[in-house]
Amino acid sequence: MNFNIVEFFNQTIDLIHKQHHGSIPLILFIGILFGVIIQWSRVDTFDKIAGFAMLHGFKVPKMLFFSIGIASIGLYFMIKMGWAHYHIKPIVLGGILIGGVIFAIGMAILGLCPGTGPVAVSEGNMDVLTGLIGGLLAGALFTYLYPDLKSIIGPNFGKVTLTQLVNHDWFIFIYGALLIFIAFWLPEREVEEEVGEI
Amino acid sequence: MNIPKRLGWIPGGIALAVLIWFTFSTIGADRPIGASTGIAYMGAWFFGLQNSEYFQHIKNSGSWEVIFLIGVLIGGFLTSVFITKTFKFRILPPLWKKHKNNSPASRLIWSFIGGFMVVFGARLAGGCTSGHFLSGASQTAVSGLLFGGIVIVVLILTGRLFYKNL
Repeated sequence: MNFNIVEFFNQTIDLIHKQHHGSIPLILFIGILFGVIIQWSRVDTFDKIAGFAMLHGFKVPKMLFFSIGIASIGLYFMIKMGWAHYHIKPIVLGGILIGGVIFAIGMAILGLCPGTGPVAVSEGNMDVLTGLIGGLLAGALFTYLYPDLKSIIGPNFGKVTLTQLVNHDWFIFIYGALLIFIAFWLPEREVEEEVGEI
Repeated sequence: MNIPKRLGWIPGGIALAVLIWFTFSTIGADRPIGASTGIAYMGAWFFGLQNSEYFQHIKNSGSWEVIFLIGVLIGGFLTSVFITKTFKFRILPPLWKKHKNNSPASRLIWSFIGGFMVVFGARLAGGCTSGHFLSGASQTAVSGLLFGGIVIVVLILTGRLFYKNL
């Protein structure tokens, strides 16, 4: 094991400089905005996420569906204008099916996911910190087992999007509108907010 | 001027959509938002697995996401101190107390197991809520929609089976 943080950051920053995905301040800026939005909306709490798993509150799916609905329409035209590019993940059927099930069980128990988890840690939820340690171990174990897991993850059905399959501009409006409709259609119910205790 | 202490799902959703546009745009990072690769990258690095096939495969996305997640920690911390005023060291979420048990030890152990499953599952699937659903579904990616559908169903099923007094 190697916990040399200085070496870790030197190598990490070095890797980022070799890519064309923004400078360190820009990436930090994007991360800060993400943290602010998630924390300010309070969708970083066990009560909101596990509360949705128990069907007590719907703020998390409402915000997610609404956000994707708006983002999808804008992104479609940004890509058409050349202001952005597609970054599609492949359909690795076994990985998505098995991984999706494991991920969702873990998400209902932890009450958080990899993006919202760090926000929960940053406001003092020590339980989520142990979840993060579990996540780091899982990442290491997965990396170690990857050669054996490859056969489970495949077959790869390629990088497919619905807009490619339909191939008409109007489709993105139907897609976006449907997601926005779902966001409004889901119940307004929310888990009442309380501060947790030790 | 009074800033609101909470963002509703409509302003929150709009803000998140704008952030997705900026991150994807060529004046931004020209890439999607993602989080789970960053955690796998960190875990693999600490365990000295830099030369493994998988680390080589994820090192670009992973390094980007580590810096992203540091920003997330900063943004979340500052907002919890100055805007939402929710910063507090704590272990037991109120809903866990109501529907599971009163034991901090039990919560810590289950959190560890849950966190382990979340990252392992996300790495099998190739993404998490951020990468597959938020970024993937915004591009109408079939992989992201499939992942999102499975996760919503299993999340609700687990909610039924794992918790009590619903």
